[in-house]
Amino acid sequence: MGGSASGEIKAEPNMTPLLDVVFQLITFFMMVFKISGENYDQRVRLPVAGSARPVEGKPAEDRLILNIDGKGQLLWNGESLDIDRAMKELRTQSQLVRLNLKIQKKEVADGEPLPTTVVFRADKNVPFTQIYRYITACQTQGFVKFALKAMSGEG
Amino acid sequence: MKKMKHEEVEVQITPMLDMAFQLLTFFILTFRPMPTEGQFSMNLLPSSPSIDMAKTDKTTDATDSSETPAFLRTLTVQLKSNLDGSLAEMSIGENDFQSLEQLKTRLKEIVADKTLPFDQAVIQSDPGLRYEDLMRVIDVFAGPEVGITKLSFNEMSGV
Repeated sequence: MGGSASGEIKAEPNMTPLLDVVFQLITFFMMVFKISGENYDQRVRLPVAGSARPVEGKPAEDRLILNIDGKGQLLWNGESLDIDRAMKELRTQSQLVRLNLKIQKKEVADGEPLPTTVVFRADKNVPFTQIYRYITACQTQGFVKFALKAMSGEG
Repeated sequence: MKKMKHEEVEVQITPMLDMAFQLLTFFILTFRPMPTEGQFSMNLLPSSPSIDMAKTDKTTDATDSSETPAFLRTLTVQLKSNLDGSLAEMSIGENDFQSLEQLKTRLKEIVADKTLPFDQAVIQSDPGLRYEDLMRVIDVFAGPEVGITKLSFNEMSGV
């Protein structure tokens, strides 16, 4: 209409705002992606408990997360361990904790309780006896602080 | 002297946008929002937990309840399971409860009664009880209406 018949109309949309938005979206998804990559095994279906309190603020550094599947096997680094290996792993972990504390000059004697919190992420179908076995095994290794994970709502 | 030549440099933005969209697609497709997880924190000491648990809380409350021996302040709840692992029956002393509502009502009465010193509980459970049902009981204890958060566990020997 406005241009001449022979003249070439060059449409150059401004891409910069679009690119800005796309980068912002990418940043958002990248940040969310990192959180979900924590030591949470998706194979574990947690039970629901309305009064389970979400962890406020930054979770304590000093914690040991135990994922237990529906068969009562410990999921460790993506691998499911049978009971013997699981117990061995717990022993190793407690030794590592003690060693770490020794390095930090906060040595804990053998009978003394360890400051590490053991976080149980157990499947909702695990029988109590399996959970109890892990709890007692942890207690024998000197862990006294426990946390049982559950979904905060039906969602 | 060299003559300044005015040259327009055009930055190709389209490939960058393509790549950005690809990245965006990847993140959208792999995005699985984490559901909110809550937790119940507890101190469980190896032997006779309820007694030792009281020791750890010595500094927190200096009410008359701390003078009562821990075993008198500990409420024992027994959980029995069906063969499929679901919760069959709960009992406190002589009282049996078939539903969680009944248990909650009784616990509310116990908590409301100031003459009773209970402020912690031991949950004795059948070995076969599913964790889901155990969690429902813990939920009743730790919920705002009852508020007994000092819990420990015990396994009932085979019946």
